[in-house]
Amino acid sequence: MAHIPDGVLSPPVLAIGAALAVAGTGLGLKALPPERVPAVAMLSAVFFVAALVHLPVGPSSVHLILNGLMGAALGWAAVPAIVVALVLQAVLFGFGGLVVLGTNVTNMAVPALIAGWVFRSLWRARPRNAALAGAVAGGVAVALTALMVAGSLALSGREFWPAARLVTLTYVPVAIIEAAFTAAAIGLVARVRPDLLEAAR
Amino acid sequence: MRRSLVLVAFLLLAAPAEAHRLKVFATVDGDNVQGTAYFAGGGTAANVPGRVLGADGGAMAAFRTDPEGAFRVSVGRTHVHAVVVDGGDGHVATLTLGGEEANAAPAAVAPELAAAVEQAVARQVRPLREQLDAYEAKTRLHDLLGGIGIIIGVFGVFAWIRARPETGHGP
Repeated sequence: MAHIPDGVLSPPVLAIGAALAVAGTGLGLKALPPERVPAVAMLSAVFFVAALVHLPVGPSSVHLILNGLMGAALGWAAVPAIVVALVLQAVLFGFGGLVVLGTNVTNMAVPALIAGWVFRSLWRARPRNAALAGAVAGGVAVALTALMVAGSLALSGREFWPAARLVTLTYVPVAIIEAAFTAAAIGLVARVRPDLLEAAR
Repeated sequence: MRRSLVLVAFLLLAAPAEAHRLKVFATVDGDNVQGTAYFAGGGTAANVPGRVLGADGGAMAAFRTDPEGAFRVSVGRTHVHAVVVDGGDGHVATLTLGGEEANAAPAAVAPELAAAVEQAVARQVRPLREQLDAYEAKTRLHDLLGGIGIIIGVFGVFAWIRARPETGHGP
């Protein structure tokens, strides 16, 4: 549902999303030195696959977004990574529409950037608790994405609270799993190669 | 309080399935439109509201899917254009029914016979279409691997263009 299909959102929401996505992609590419490109490509591929792997939760299943991990590990470079992965998800699998691409990018990339900033603030304050900072980043990113998806629907004329409640409740298990996943990934990288995380901004 | 708890429990149970792409499959069968709503990659879409649209785009009938994601709604003998299901959370699926599924009965055949034939054909075609949908889902793995390759390629080209040649080395 973070992948909104075509024909749901109104033109102003699409225009704002597209403008923010283009600006973010430009800034992201500018802040991307060639030696960081392999990391961006790898995390873009992980993000691309994560949405297609359904984890069983109770009687149903959910999929991860991993935008918190992207923001923490890549910083601004997370935006182009998300753009490429979302284009392919839309073209190959019909996950989200192409016209709403900008809005979908914005709904996932803005929380990624905020989560990245939160992660770096916490990590600098307490370098030993990288995993905990990663868990916070993972949870924050998913919660913000849920709010932004609900906001996009509300601005397009749907009632905010029913949509927000539906979206947020769907995301509770995702946020929990994602916090654990991000904590594990970030905790490992921070222990083994902290320089990889320090390069993100 | 208890009612809201039941509602929350219901939403928690029902909503996670909606993390995937909503799809709808329907056939016209005599006076009825019947089909199922489901999420690509598994999971039925239970209790999702939907509409049957006429040729002018107006809603002809409304329905709500049952716990198995199935629905059946009577529309009478008019031209059915499309079936839309709307999860209310940004998931919308539309199935446009082609001309061959228009349920106007041919004038020369008795209506009872036409209805029986339509019903039989719909029953025969249905498993084929479902098989086709399942096959489509199977190609996902190939698309997935291809997508990973494209991502590596795109960023590879970007790195190639951006990388500066090393100075002070080479011939």
